Amino acid sequence: MTLVTDSPVHSSSSEDFASFLDTHLTSTASDSSANEDSDGEEDLESKRVKRHKVEVLDIPENTHEPTTGAGTSKIEDICAHPGTFGNMCILCGQRIDEDSSVSLGYIHKGLRLANEEIVRLRNADTKNLLSRKRLYLILDLDHTLLNSTLLFHMNSEEEYLKSRADSLQDIENGNLFMLEHMRMMTKLRPYVRQFLKEASQLFEMYIYTMGDRPYAREMAKLLDPRNEYFNAKVISRDDGTQKHQKGLDVVLGQESAVLILDDTENAWIKHKDNVILMERYHFFASSCQQFGFSCKSLSELKSDESETDGALAAVLRVLKRAHSLFFDELGDSLPNRDVREVLKTVRKEILQGCKIVFSRVFPTSFPAESHQLWKMAEQLGATCLVELDDSVTHVVATDPKTEKSRWAVKEKKFLVHPQWIEATFYLWKRLPEDNYSVNQL
Amino acid sequence: MFFHIILERNMQLHPRHFGRNLRDNLVAKLMKDVEGTCSGRHGFVVAITGIENIGKGLIRDGTGFVTFPVKYQCVVFRPFKGEILEAVVTMVNKMGFFAEAGPVQIFVSNHLIPDDMEFQSGDMPNYTTSDGSVKIQKDSEVRLKIIGTRVDATEIFCIGTIKDDFLGVINDPATA
Repeated sequence: MTLVTDSPVHSSSSEDFASFLDTHLTSTASDSSANEDSDGEEDLESKRVKRHKVEVLDIPENTHEPTTGAGTSKIEDICAHPGTFGNMCILCGQRIDEDSSVSLGYIHKGLRLANEEIVRLRNADTKNLLSRKRLYLILDLDHTLLNSTLLFHMNSEEEYLKSRADSLQDIENGNLFMLEHMRMMTKLRPYVRQFLKEASQLFEMYIYTMGDRPYAREMAKLLDPRNEYFNAKVISRDDGTQKHQKGLDVVLGQESAVLILDDTENAWIKHKDNVILMERYHFFASSCQQFGFSCKSLSELKSDESETDGALAAVLRVLKRAHSLFFDELGDSLPNRDVREVLKTVRKEILQGCKIVFSRVFPTSFPAESHQLWKMAEQLGATCLVELDDSVTHVVATDPKTEKSRWAVKEKKFLVHPQWIEATFYLWKRLPEDNYSVNQL
Repeated sequence: MFFHIILERNMQLHPRHFGRNLRDNLVAKLMKDVEGTCSGRHGFVVAITGIENIGKGLIRDGTGFVTFPVKYQCVVFRPFKGEILEAVVTMVNKMGFFAEAGPVQIFVSNHLIPDDMEFQSGDMPNYTTSDGSVKIQKDSEVRLKIIGTRVDATEIFCIGTIKDDFLGVINDPATA
């Protein structure tokens, strides 16, 4: 029987299968062709005939080598090849093997888009989003929304957590999970559920983590068990275009409408103005050690961040403020608004009305206006003065015995350590001055 | 398209399977090895329907394993350019949508979705006509035309289009 002799074990390219089908279909009509096929199995000439037949009958071919060179280039002239899926053009289906495009592996493996197409999509999508009164929000995982540790990094004082882990069947109501298959334990930051729920009303949210893809997916499942927030918008380090850097080039949103929540500013070198820095969440002891803290971790102290007054609650207020400023208070037309400018405005409101005098903080020869702390204070909306007068509200000093410090104590003005400005800058809220008094530190 | 064809494979069998049930063991192993796999040439092997012939076994020196050449009939599935296929939508996004027809993954770019259908984001992203009468979202069934295929060792990728007559949604989960 011809079918048997034409066994695929010997043949080498996909056309043979096509031609085999072809032969099979026509074999009932003409016996001679079937015979020729069975006899000339190893015969090169017959193979050439088969290939010829395939082309004439226009049976679709999927060969690696282009069989018809002229036809290929002709199609390329017409189609711009906006992107590829599994190395095929998404518009014309043509095979493309070059790699100039950006991989969007987080959406679907095998999907790549050319830069022009990404720009086109980005513009269209941003317009669409702004018309629905939303902005983009990019969230980091570790130390921002949650804290994870490997099981074997847990010390004896943390052992009690293992028996307290919440059920993976009821993710929505838990916040401490044991992931046996990844040998990990994960603690969600207090308030994170409420945070995501409220933020999803105002933002289209992405996850962007330096963890690998399986980890990112697993964490997304814990944060978003019903898949409401991060549908195919989980970006891991495997998807980035640069090593050890996070970038917005794989995000389909315009920079002027993106806010980023991360604990490491250095990961976003090109987009520092979009970043809202988060106070790191260290729940497990291993995480504290990693960053060089010798104090007891929250897990060892059996405590946790405050639910209503923690970092996430604070940052949610900042996000809401930025969102309402962007949409309700800016005069420009929507496409011209820039969320980075808005962020600066929000920051300016924090120390509005404060008048600050620095005392022996800067070296004498150093121009005070260009010092980091001075700039920070101004970005926070405070007015910096060189000389004392009655309107001054804060004196910043490291030494309680300077002339200005003593003046502050006498006049009952706030006398604070420079760290107060730094902490206020990073935490986006005016912190109680009493915690930063000069004597204490 | 589905095909019923005869394929051949050399099966290696461990000596512990020899005996009365040798043939059964061989067939069971063949099914386990072959069904659900993909080959660039034939496409996806759906099911083995029968054994044509089992050749003489050849004992391997040193290991005691025996190699049998087995010819078997099977049903294979392979998409072709120009073929019309029905598929289930698995993911919708601003680039277009992904759909599956058995083992085949199909991508339909938004360039190849009719111009009157617009992308709507939200909890359930979808493409909808301006009058809202037709909607493509996750789990919708669509009829599409294949314009490009690539069959890998383990996967089949296709590019599809619904920008043609009689293509598009055939069953909407929302209204069903």
